[in-house]
Amino acid sequence: MQTLDYAIPGTRPTQPGWVTFVPPLAVLMLALLMHYCVPFLGAYAERIMTDMAIAMIAAMSLTIVNGFTGQFSIGHAAFMALGGYTAAWCSYYFCLRYWGQTAVVPGTLFGTHQLILLCCALIGGAVAAGAGWVVGLPSLRLRGDYLAIVTLGFGEILRVLFQQTNSQALSKPELANRPLFGSDPTNPGWVFPPGVGGSLGFTDIPKSTNLFLCYLLVGLTFLFAYRLKFSSLGRALLSIREDEIAAEAMGVNVTRLKVRAFMFAAFFAGIAGTLYAHQSGTTLRPIDSGFIRSFDIVIMVVLGGLGSISGALLAAVIITGVTAALLGLTDYGLLPYRMPVFALVLILMMIFRPKGLFGVHEIWDYLPQFGRKGAK
Amino acid sequence: MSFLLDVQRIGISFGGLKAVQDFTLQIAHGALHGLIGPNGAGKTTVFNLLTGVYLPQTGSIHLGGVSLMGRKPFQIAAAGLSRTFQNIRLFGELSVLDNVRIACHLRGRHSLTATVLRTSFYRRQEAAIEERAMTLLSIFDLGDLAHEQARNLSYGDQRRLEIVRALATVPKLILLDEPAAGMNPAEKIELAKSIEQIRKQFNLTVLLIEHDMSLVMDICERITVLDYGQIIAEGTPGEIQSNPKVIEAYLGEVVTES
Ligand SMILES: Nc1ncnc2c1ncn2[C@@H]1O[C@H](COP(=O)(O)OP(=O)(O)O)[C@@H](O)[C@H]1O
Ligand SMILES: [Mg+2]
Repeated sequence: MQTLDYAIPGTRPTQPGWVTFVPPLAVLMLALLMHYCVPFLGAYAERIMTDMAIAMIAAMSLTIVNGFTGQFSIGHAAFMALGGYTAAWCSYYFCLRYWGQTAVVPGTLFGTHQLILLCCALIGGAVAAGAGWVVGLPSLRLRGDYLAIVTLGFGEILRVLFQQTNSQALSKPELANRPLFGSDPTNPGWVFPPGVGGSLGFTDIPKSTNLFLCYLLVGLTFLFAYRLKFSSLGRALLSIREDEIAAEAMGVNVTRLKVRAFMFAAFFAGIAGTLYAHQSGTTLRPIDSGFIRSFDIVIMVVLGGLGSISGALLAAVIITGVTAALLGLTDYGLLPYRMPVFALVLILMMIFRPKGLFGVHEIWDYLPQFGRKGAK
Repeated sequence: MSFLLDVQRIGISFGGLKAVQDFTLQIAHGALHGLIGPNGAGKTTVFNLLTGVYLPQTGSIHLGGVSLMGRKPFQIAAAGLSRTFQNIRLFGELSVLDNVRIACHLRGRHSLTATVLRTSFYRRQEAAIEERAMTLLSIFDLGDLAHEQARNLSYGDQRRLEIVRALATVPKLILLDEPAAGMNPAEKIELAKSIEQIRKQFNLTVLLIEHDMSLVMDICERITVLDYGQIIAEGTPGEIQSNPKVIEAYLGEVVTES
């Protein structure tokens, strides 16, 4: 194939070099700021801010598939849960074999446990991305709504599989007595079948998620999504969403890019799931893989505007905030109204702003001084 | 002499309908070839066969000696065959500039790492792509509209943008499907000039579907006439104009239309 050498240095103005390094540094500063400032607001605020961070990563990652590429996945929580379970399995058994316990000192900025968490997040993300490849390859070859059905089914299958897992080995001697692989239900293998708690949920995961890691990963996910969207690669994804036939005629390898986008999304979902699994006060349960959790993420993406990264961020904050507010008002019995309220919001939006809050654009496109022409 | 495009007896039927049969076409390097015929004759279907949207059930297609049979549309674009669409298929929500930049994608190198790290290679390439897209847009006077959303363009501008987008893939052969449809006479003259200009500037070979006979007879060097999926004539504009079969096909259409 004939290629043009686009990279020949010439007289044309390129973006300055600082755009490469400054944003990641800004992300680091933000994460440090969150870590040191939010605790002053109290434990409740800390908890909500962590929930929001996890929701933001999940929503931004789903934006890559549903927003940029226009393929409708409604089983995103399955990838979160898969990543979370995988990472938690790694960190839980690692800590247990190494220290005999999984307790974590709270308040640390970046200790051994956070390092373990980061490694496990990469593993969880990679496993989720692998699952994304397996799920995506057959269903993304076809045009139409197959992906929605397949992802929905994937989430439910995963939920049932998690329910069928073994209970956990809870002490070091017990773990040492177990075989690596075993099918005996009274003495199951600790590698396979994995003991991740079955239907009761996976307990005693090291609670190493902190605000620093959360917002570091929010920032990095945002950078990834943003740089993807405003690049040749991202524009190719957008072209698939706009018109698959024209995109392919213009040389875009549609199937390959769709599968890739799906894997990126699954990877970051796995990371969000890892943070969730290691968050204090949560128990990872099979139901986390199911449709109800997926639906929350879809609402965020649709509300923010399909393809708008900042819209997804804002919607994640709003939805998490509203949920927390309703939770806080449990005494008044308002929590059951959560789903009807969201459904109503979605219906109103379909009537008044069918493309979500910001459509495919970013929030700043609507500010007069930054507004790109044609952003409306 | 060797031909750039060599199509031998391709055909396809949809259910019982033989949309295109035994279609044979040879186009020399640098030529401007016309494809005409009444509505429903199968012209667009020929384009879809050539670009891999439909898989030909018979025959063979070679571009510059390389077989295109069974290749996917994006591979055919990479091989140097690009097209416009009769029913405009722009990326409507995206800007005019982005429409062209997407087509530039094909001839670049895009790794995920370079994209995410914004390496200096990546930044140089993006700048070069933008510059190239703007240059192409200015040939068709679309430079000022670069940041408009494509779907907000006038009909004529959308047709021109389709051509620019096809050009951005660096084709050897470009297929234009009714590029002048919906344009006024002045715009058509402009379009004919632009087609001439890009042919020379980019060393292009053109296959053109067009209904405006004066335009076709004016700019095409050779013409193929289709009717009911079959070739009824092939030759220079002069030969085509005096061919009784062609006259009959067109007169027949006039009668059915009125
Ligand atoms: N995908 C398809 N399925 C069924 N029939 C088709 C399809 N594509 C084209 N046709 C038929 O093939 C014939 C030729 O259509 P087309 O190539 O669009 O004609 P033209 O471009 O010459 O006006 C028409 O009768 C049309 O209905
Ligand atoms: Mg047609």
